[in-house]
Order: sequence, then C-alpha cells, then structure tokens
Amino acid sequence: MRRLFVLVSLLLTLIVLAEKPIKIGAILPLSDITGRQAANAMKLAVKEINDAGGVLGRPIELIVMDDEMKPEKGAAAVDKLATVDKVDFFVGGMSSSVHLAQIPILKKYKKITVWIGAASYKCEEAVGADSDWYFHLHPWDYLQGESYAIGWKAITEKYPQVKIEKIFLAYEEGAFGTSSFKSYQDEFELAKQGTGVWTGLMKDLKGGPFKSAALGGGDYRAMLLQAKQYDPDLFIWAGYDADAIPMLSQAKEIGFSPKLFVGAPPGWPADFGKNPLSNGVVLYGMWAPALKDVSAIAKHFWDAYVQEFNEEPATYFAPLGYTNIYFLIEAIKKAGSIDDKAVIQALREIEYESPVGGVLKISPSRIIKNQGFRAQKILQWQNGVQHVIWPFEYATANLIYPFPGWSTK
Amino acid sequence: MKRIFNLYTFFLLLLVVVALVRPYAFFYGLQRGSLYSLIALPLALILGIVGLLNLAHGDFLTLGLYIGYILFNQFKFDPILSMIFIAPILFVIGLAVYKSTIEKVLKSHHLNLLLITFGVSITLVELINSLWTSRPRNVYVTYATKSISLFGISIGAYEFLYVAASIAVLLVIMLVLKKTRFGQAAFAVGQNPRGAAIVGINVKLVYTITFSLATAMMAVSASLMMPRVSIFPNLGGPFTMKSFCLTAMAGLGNLPGILLSGITLGIAEAIVQSIPGYSGWSDLVFFGVLILVIAFRANRGAER
Repeated sequence: MRRLFVLVSLLLTLIVLAEKPIKIGAILPLSDITGRQAANAMKLAVKEINDAGGVLGRPIELIVMDDEMKPEKGAAAVDKLATVDKVDFFVGGMSSSVHLAQIPILKKYKKITVWIGAASYKCEEAVGADSDWYFHLHPWDYLQGESYAIGWKAITEKYPQVKIEKIFLAYEEGAFGTSSFKSYQDEFELAKQGTGVWTGLMKDLKGGPFKSAALGGGDYRAMLLQAKQYDPDLFIWAGYDADAIPMLSQAKEIGFSPKLFVGAPPGWPADFGKNPLSNGVVLYGMWAPALKDVSAIAKHFWDAYVQEFNEEPATYFAPLGYTNIYFLIEAIKKAGSIDDKAVIQALREIEYESPVGGVLKISPSRIIKNQGFRAQKILQWQNGVQHVIWPFEYATANLIYPFPGWSTK
Repeated sequence: MKRIFNLYTFFLLLLVVVALVRPYAFFYGLQRGSLYSLIALPLALILGIVGLLNLAHGDFLTLGLYIGYILFNQFKFDPILSMIFIAPILFVIGLAVYKSTIEKVLKSHHLNLLLITFGVSITLVELINSLWTSRPRNVYVTYATKSISLFGISIGAYEFLYVAASIAVLLVIMLVLKKTRFGQAAFAVGQNPRGAAIVGINVKLVYTITFSLATAMMAVSASLMMPRVSIFPNLGGPFTMKSFCLTAMAGLGNLPGILLSGITLGIAEAIVQSIPGYSGWSDLVFFGVLILVIAFRANRGAER
C-alpha cells in the first residue's frame, strides 16, 4: 500500500511537471496597431502549437504586457515578467526608445530574448557583443539602408529604363527623419569615394526637412516645391503615417510627379490603398499581404489570422509576431529542453521559413552575434494592393515605372 | 485711430512686399494663417466671454473631423456639406461637457478651470483612440487638390476657402455680438459678469450657450480641413496651442486682431519654410514673432 502511494505520488509529480507550461513573456505597445496585431499573431501561434500538443510535451503560456510606447513602462514590464510571472523567455518589441530603456534590465536577467522590434543601431550598441542570449530579428536601420541599395541596383538591372542618380530625401524634423537623412548622407559620401552599397547608383543627393503632421505640421508645399525644382529620379520621404495622404495631395496640387515616389513611414494610414493617390507609390517594408499568393506559409498565416480575429493583418508586425513565437519554439524543439545553452545553440542553427517572406537564419551583424532578418523589401501600391517588387523570388507584380502621375487621380 | 490706421497700413505694405518677393510664401501663409484664425476664433470667444482657457479646444476639432469622416465613409456625405450635421452634434457635445464638468468649477480658482479642461482633453483623446485607434484616417475628394494660376504661379485653390471662411466667421460673430440681444448680453457678461447679473442677464445661460456655440463653430474648420489633413486622435493638440498664441497676440476681446495675427504668423512661418534648409526654424519664428508682439504691446501699455 505504501509503495503504491509513493508510485502514485511520483507519477502525479511527473504529470504536473510535464504539464507545467513553458512561459513566454511578450512586451508590445498594445494601443498601437503594430503591437496589437503582433500580440494577436503571437496568440495565434501559441494556440496552434498548443492545439498540436505543445512542445516537449508541455503547453506554451504567453503573457503579454503593454509597454504603452513608454520607455519606463517597457522597462518595468521586463522586471514584472521576470520576477512575478517568472517567464522563461522574452519576446516582442517595437519602439527603439522603449527598447533602449529595457536593455539594461534584460541584461540583469540574461534570459533568452528574441526581439522583433527596435531597428536603431543605438540598441545594438547598448546590447553589445557579449550578449549571447540576445537574438534580434528585425533588420537594424543600417542593414535596411543597405538592402534598399541592393534592391534598387537589382531593379535597375532588371528594368534598364529605371535611373536612380538624383535622390531627394524629404525627412521629418524629428530624430527618425534626421537620422534617416544622416545615414543617406553617409552613404552618399561613401558612394562619391567609390565605396559603399550606393556606388554606381546615387550620384547626387538633396534633402528637405518638413514638420510631420503627427507633430503639429502638415504643410509640405514649400519642401515639395524645392523637390520639384531639383527634379529627382527618386523622391523619398521619411515621415509618419499621418503624412502619407496630405503629402500626396499637396504634390498633386503643385504638379510634382517624380519618376519614383517612395514613402518610408513605419506604418500606413487606414485604407491608404483605396485612395486613388496611392497608385504607383513605392514603399519599403518587410512584408506585403500579396505574399500570400506566392508563399504557402504566408497564405496559411493570413487565412488563420483572418479566421481567428476577423480582421486582416495590416502591418508586418503581425507575421513578424507569428514568426517570433514559431522561431523560438522550433529552437526549443530542436534543443530538446529549455536549457539556455542548448536553446541558444539551436536558435543559431535552425532555419525557419517565415510568413514575412524569406528564410530566417541567424548570422552576426556589426556588433551582435545573433541577427535575424537583414533586408527589407521594395513594394509598390498597385490598384489598392501592396505588391512585392523586390526580392524578385517573392515578386508579386512588375514595377510600374514611371510613377503614373496625377492626371487620372 | 491714426495709430490703428498706421498699423494697418504698415501691415498691408508688409504683405505687398512679401507677395512680391516670395509669392508662394505669401499665398501659403495667407491660407495657413487663415486656418489658424478660423480655429482660434471660437477659443477667443470662450476666453473673452466665459473667461475660460479651454485646453480641450483642439480636441473638439478632432471630434468634429471624426464625425465628418464617418458621414463621408458611411453615407458619402460631401465633407463641406457635412458641416450642417457636425455643428449640431458638436453643440450637444459641448453643452454636455460644459454642464457636466466646467460649470461645476467655474467659480473656483483659475487653475481648477485649466485642470478640468486639460482632463476633458485627455478624456476626449483617449476616447477617440479607443473608438478609432491611433491609425490616421483620410477623406479624399478631387476638388480639394485643384490648382489655379495666380499672377503666373500655380497655387492650390482649395485652401482659399480658409481665407473666406475665417472672414465670414469673424463677420458673423461680430454681427451677432453687436446686433442681437444674446450678443449684447454676452458682450456685457464678458465685460462685467456681476454687473450683467445685477441688470437681470442670465449669466449662467450666456456662459452655457457661448461655450456650446463656440464648440459648434469648430464644425466649420473641421469640415473644411477634412479633405486636406490626416485625422488622428492627437491632431487637435497643436491647434489648441496655436489658437492660444493667436489670442494672446491679438489681445483679449480683439477678434479682428486674431485674423491679422493668424495671417502674420502664417506668413512668417511660410517665409521660413520656403528658405531651403531652414524650415525647422518656422516654430522658432512663430513663437519669436509672438513674444515680440506681446512684449511690444506690454511695453506700450506701460508707457501709457
């Protein structure tokens, strides 16, 4: 009888241990569409994994915290997840400034962190070279800049009529816009010396600042007139989603129609594609809804997300959030345990076909050892749909060139 | 009188010089400055009569824009015509906000009044954020991007509506204040609320109607701006700041001065923006001109 009691107790303990969930703590800005949809996508991935029996015989528990886009809230969320919820892994992320406040706290706990946000090189500097536990999936800002040049070079080779020699960068006056312009200036200096990724492409560069509508501005006409006088081959604006339509309206009003009209905001306004002004606008991004037509995993993600949440993914943070969970779980599966060393090793070895479009594989960047994606994609709005133009292996449409102008809009 | 005439002559001459040297800056500044004035006039009315600095002023504008957006999106209402629906809705919202919050603290310290309107502002922004998210919305009508040729240069035609509307709204307010019983009562209350109450004016009612009407007046700027701006929850904040600046620059109770101040600041802003590489200085110039004018006026007052 006593033996039976011990055996039953042992079995029960084993069952409880086996059922103990693997805890993942996610920190995202939930009031912003990027964070909300990334959180939804993470929940979707966890649901799929748990429905399929979990990982290592254990279910996954996702605990989502809202950083409210505030550095102090983001840093406090790390502490809370580590000490109160006692999570095993950290995921999530969006804003660089929030992440800068989180990095010292993350370093304190040294839990495996797989981050999908924070593109600023300053975050990479803050993380440092010796943080083996830190994995960064979003391309750093300088990697993005390099990938655009690689993309445009490929496009000019495929479409010989496309010329990108004179570039006008309209940038919002804040940190985001000015650092964008600074990186273009640096690349231009390198190109003049015959080095750097823009060599052979960028022969002249001009910049024009503007006050973003998001920060109380919204009158771009003086800047657009300067751009019109310059007559660039490629006009690119680095601002926010609130600038998108007014910028196009005012360009139409003054009759400014460059051969390539490129927008590089972090997100686009609601129903941008439905606005006739959007047709032919080129953009940079990690993902486009049209990818579901050329990628099975992208289609699976799209259908599952729409079915689960009754809304369409509208930002690349949705497939990136989904990737965030699956990439980590695949590594745990490969490692066979949640032991730090084994999981870190597995994360460095696995290859994951992502709904973002492309295979995710870890390689070193300038400072850190564990960088995921390295490139953005060149996309174009065509008749209300965001199409992939480059990389060509994921292309869903050919480039409309030159920009169609305003006569029919 | 002579001094005012000289001031206006100087102002007109300045405008002519700017128009000749930098025609684009002149027209853009005129349009933008008129919009600032159009938005500032209701704030000045509330400040002058109720004695309340409404920090939620710009948020009522945002609310008006969202109402217009729904009317356009769901019922295909023309943005400008939607003014006739936005105005009564804003009137009711203004009335409700005034009765439920502001009226309760109207007799307390000025700081409490500021705090309560600040609270109303935060509530409105968060409410809008939870209803429509932070994602910008847009209303597109082709006529809002048409251009006309003026003195050989191509200028957007739509924003001249701001100029016409700001003059029209100013004239209507002045006419109502001078020619109607309510206007005269409101004027008296603005001058001396105690005295007005003694002669039998219902001060409470005047305050309520003034606040609600001023809120409803935001429908004019909301419907005109709608096809030209992105609509998002924090849109109104900077306009509250600019409206207050214009009111401060014009002086309390000087409604025509708001139009002149708006155009002056709008043109100053547009001139700076038109200088390549210096557009970032426009805010500095905006507030610099404001400080100079207030300092000049204060100095002149002290001399008297």
